Amino acid sequence: MKKLLEISLGIVTSVGGFLEIGSIATAAQAGADFGFQLIWAVLLGGLCVIFLVEQGGRLSAISGHTVTGAIRERFGFNYFILLFIILSAVTLLVLSAELGGVCIALEMSTGIRFQLWAIPVALVIWLILWKGTFGVIEKGISILGLVTISFIVGAVVMKPNWRSVLSGAVPSLPTSEKSHYWFSAVSILGASISPYLYLFYSSGAIEDEWDEGYIGVNRVIASFGMSFGSLISVAVLILGALVFPPRGLHADQYSQLALLMQDAFGHTGFIFFVLSLGISCLGAALEITLQMAYFAAQGFGWNWSENLPPKKEARFSLTYTIVVILAMLLVLTGIDPLQLTIISMALTAATLPLSTVPFLILMNDRKYLANSRNGWFSNAVVIVIITVAFVLAIVSIPLQILGGS
Amino acid sequence: MARQEIHLELVLGKRVYALNGRTVGRIEEARAEMQDGSAFVNEFLIGTYSFFERFSAWEIGRAILGVFGSSIKSGYRVRWDQIDFSNLQHPSLTCEVSDLSPLDMD
Amino acid sequence: MDLVRDCLDKQLVDRHGHKMGRVDGIILEVGDGRIPIVTAIEIGPVCQASRFHPMFAKVVKRITNRFGVVQKDPYRLPWSKVIPAGIEVVAGVEAEDTPVLGWELWLRKHVIERIPGA
Repeated sequence: MKKLLEISLGIVTSVGGFLEIGSIATAAQAGADFGFQLIWAVLLGGLCVIFLVEQGGRLSAISGHTVTGAIRERFGFNYFILLFIILSAVTLLVLSAELGGVCIALEMSTGIRFQLWAIPVALVIWLILWKGTFGVIEKGISILGLVTISFIVGAVVMKPNWRSVLSGAVPSLPTSEKSHYWFSAVSILGASISPYLYLFYSSGAIEDEWDEGYIGVNRVIASFGMSFGSLISVAVLILGALVFPPRGLHADQYSQLALLMQDAFGHTGFIFFVLSLGISCLGAALEITLQMAYFAAQGFGWNWSENLPPKKEARFSLTYTIVVILAMLLVLTGIDPLQLTIISMALTAATLPLSTVPFLILMNDRKYLANSRNGWFSNAVVIVIITVAFVLAIVSIPLQILGGS
Repeated sequence: MARQEIHLELVLGKRVYALNGRTVGRIEEARAEMQDGSAFVNEFLIGTYSFFERFSAWEIGRAILGVFGSSIKSGYRVRWDQIDFSNLQHPSLTCEVSDLSPLDMD
Repeated sequence: MDLVRDCLDKQLVDRHGHKMGRVDGIILEVGDGRIPIVTAIEIGPVCQASRFHPMFAKVVKRITNRFGVVQKDPYRLPWSKVIPAGIEVVAGVEAEDTPVLGWELWLRKHVIERIPGA
């Protein structure tokens, strides 16, 4: 009975926590530019995340290590530092994009420019981390995040041609704007397969004190939670495909994103959108900030837990404080949050192998997982998708830069 | 050769040289035996990666190569008295390569 | 026991289970025709920095000494006080008695506790 409750809560958390500005922006733009053609990219990213998240949970439950700790122990300090520097730089960009997302939502609802919201929003994020506990944060924000289900309702209400939608689930080659097509696919993959997702999930499993008994729970939460979350992204793409082309828009300005649910629900659609954007980005910002602090603490061996008061873990709390400040500064520079989002998603895809290759090696290591090591299928899925993402990123990012956006 | 202190983490990954000056492999592990609370290092494990030798300088490189199995990776077990650390940048064998026991793969 | 696999980089905890950092270094005594013996483990940013490049170690040492934060960096724990225990390495000491928490305590006193709600 208790496990059932945990499963439901876990799924809700995953669903509510899945969407963030990366998934929204990349899906909306893909829909605007290519109709339903890129639905396969969202599904592929979702599939990969299901496997990675399940593996992160399994590693933690069985070995008692977080993925980060295990990477340092298995691959040494030098690799950890390399990963730490590169991943932190990219993740900081993603965090700034999320912070920007909350600010955009506030700008849309109040008319006050997004930069002016940077400091108050950063302060709120910091306060929640300073005074909150892991359970409250994880569950509270994610339950609120369920408002994003309105995207699915909106997509259904718009009555898209479901046959066309289904055909988009099959990968297809672009007929025009080839480099932009692949770049869009890469951004979608980077938005879905963010390392902070499975790293955070693994830290959460340790915070919640999971053990081998949770393997089944883990599998259910990862698959259902992430699948449902992907469906929400697909819904955003569908809405993008229906809402932007008739207006001749490419969803390349954040003000346009507000239109996503207006055809379906009128002004209420605008409210749903603003709430969805603001809450999901706030949730993502909290998760990412925490994960960056976990990464440092777990790798260096400091005390870490969101359930401890800040003075019991000075280095951990100082780290997340600095992280929030840095992200806030980036938003204050006024850089367009949408551009920042797309760039950080593409960079995430390009740097995926750095964290996933060691992760996969760990998932096959008898010392960590005994009899619960990855089967060939789990390995194959992750390897194929990561390779695709990486190759596409290496090829399309330069093309995008050269071709101009 | 006098008694000296070495940092294990700093010799990890360093090339070990044979008597004739050729590279044998890189130091990957030190195996210790516990006795009355003390840990005596009775052997060092050396990994050889032949063609991929350069790639094996880092642990992550060795780990990736290790994944590809014994076709790429092999190694030796070097007894404590078969290796000389007087020159830390240039650890060398005190015996012939043929005297070393091969490493059995996990 | 495999020192690199089972000891190096592992989480170090004190006798009460409080985290003390990770095993950043292992000191061996070799030579003189006798079997090498593990004498101590090392913990601390200077030790970590040397693994990356000796130049970094010098920089880190200067920073740590400048603030007078840590009395001894890197910190050496004699092997006699070390108990490898599977997932972690247990040190038979109290973390607060050792310099490893130097930065943690300094930050707690000078930064974190000054912020309300800590």
